[in-house]
Amino acid sequence: MTSFVVKRLLLMIPTLISVAVLVFFLMRIVPGDIVALRFQGESSFASKESLAIERQRLGLDQPIWKQFLVWGGGLLRGDFGTSMWTGAPITEELRLRFALSLQVAVMSTIIAVLIAIPLGVLAALRQDTWVDYAVRIASIAGLATPSFWLGILFILFLLVVFHWLPPMVYTPFWVSPVQNLAQLIWPALAVGYRYSAVATRMTRSAMLEVLREDYIRTARAKGLWQQLILSRHALKNAMLPVLTIIALEFAFLLGGLVVTEQVFNLNGLGQLFVDAVAHRDYTLIQALVMLVAFVFIMVNFFVDLAYALIDPRIRYR
Amino acid sequence: MALDRPLEDVVALADLTPERSVKDGVVDFVRHRPLGAIGAAVVLLNILAGVFAGVLAPYDPVATDYAAMLSRPSLAHWLGTDAFGRDVLSRILYGARTAMLVGFAVALVGATVGAVIGVTSAYFGGRIDLAIQRVMDIFLSFPLIILALAMVSILGTGLVNVIVAIMIPLIPRASLVTRSSALAIREMPYVDAARAAGYRHRRIILRHMLPNVMAPYLIMLTAFLGQAILLEASLSFLGLGVAEPTPAWGLMLRGAAVQFAETAPWMAVFPGLAISLAVFAFNLFGDSLRDALDPRLRTQ
Repeated sequence: MTSFVVKRLLLMIPTLISVAVLVFFLMRIVPGDIVALRFQGESSFASKESLAIERQRLGLDQPIWKQFLVWGGGLLRGDFGTSMWTGAPITEELRLRFALSLQVAVMSTIIAVLIAIPLGVLAALRQDTWVDYAVRIASIAGLATPSFWLGILFILFLLVVFHWLPPMVYTPFWVSPVQNLAQLIWPALAVGYRYSAVATRMTRSAMLEVLREDYIRTARAKGLWQQLILSRHALKNAMLPVLTIIALEFAFLLGGLVVTEQVFNLNGLGQLFVDAVAHRDYTLIQALVMLVAFVFIMVNFFVDLAYALIDPRIRYR
Repeated sequence: MALDRPLEDVVALADLTPERSVKDGVVDFVRHRPLGAIGAAVVLLNILAGVFAGVLAPYDPVATDYAAMLSRPSLAHWLGTDAFGRDVLSRILYGARTAMLVGFAVALVGATVGAVIGVTSAYFGGRIDLAIQRVMDIFLSFPLIILALAMVSILGTGLVNVIVAIMIPLIPRASLVTRSSALAIREMPYVDAARAAGYRHRRIILRHMLPNVMAPYLIMLTAFLGQAILLEASLSFLGLGVAEPTPAWGLMLRGAAVQFAETAPWMAVFPGLAISLAVFAFNLFGDSLRDALDPRLRTQ
């Protein structure tokens, strides 16, 4: 097991390096250069001198491999550089916003699991009945509904029915849990529903597959209670693919939040990303894309570990 | 290799892909997959709305009418008007044009480029395959919208740029799927035969292998349609997609729709309904098509 962990950790290094290379050069395939482009984006006149000064300030006058090494070296120390727009250190900015996005992400995950697993199991047990069709249609609808629109509908509903709007200012959970949840539960629900759609479909198909197995028939033949068969025999074996999809979706949740945060005026990573794109703040975009990829790779790693721990059939050397 | 195969085997292979008319296929599809057929019908309605928006729309989608600002749904304005007095129904119909344009452009080009990359990768195998797959893997470790937004930051906003920005993150996904089916096709006797006949790599890839990954290609294509429409709506909603005054569903939900949510809820409800319905229809159709074309993929 230890050697497996070490091996997996070592394997992450080339992946992270290639992601860093891709992100870095992606930002440099811009025709022309990013400084000129940024000034152009502001539609203000910029002289050659001010462009040169800016370029020097950002270290863009250096050869490209050197720029990469400086940036990469910073990453290793957890330093993402400074924003091209505000000049503030990016790491500081990320730290401020990470908590909020993480909390919404975790809450959405919990909501998604609470919806997906019971519904998926139910649909599988009642395959090809109206229950199954209803669950399937609800989950295809979940995939089709943009979470930002769902968010707008929530706001609309709260306004029309309760004449109440969720608080607009973020309160940390430990200061006032009620205030905090009153604000964040709505985006979590909007994102969580969509997220549950994927997991419901996965739970359903995994359960269907497991229910056809011989050991389930044996358990039934033994006369075991249906509940025991379900919880101990079926669900346990169906959970592996479900766990994977939930974990991978969690990593991608940071992406899903990009749009929804905008609706609820949340000052999270998503909002930061949108602002960065709108301002063509390339250093900030670079940092955020890198952060998302890093989270994804880490989640993948933990999923692999969880596999090895949960499923005794899987043995890693 | 083809010659040492018993004749029955070759015949059986030919049987797997019997010649069937398109009409038979359509009739079969409607009969066995009613949900998919409903999806296809809604898709068709969307396409018609997009194509004939000019004829169907009762008003000019960009014409402002300050006398009719924020008017509620009525006989004159079936779905009401927005904060500039623009007719919501007309804007939704023209929005269908934008959505279909983005959807089909992204899906067709994205799936095709992805398929060519996937098949090429599978055909050559070895180091070339490994290198291509590594690059694709890296792309796959980003959420679609993050990559699309990063592309927008490079390309800028506007219809064509948005199409490219959405297409690029989808290409690796298409290549992944087509590659896995192309790997099996590479071992087929007819590919060996083509190679033995001395055809160039390009001809073998494009003429012999590509047409045989049609099933996964079509599945990808329909899946991309819904995703592309959703992504376009998201980008436009963020103000980073199609630019005003072009009518686009995502754009209609931006700003004023939330601001006037209480007094003019139709502004927020109908465009979102249009997005959901279109994507829902595409997904329904795509799901059924997938089941019909490739039963092995059903569990995914």
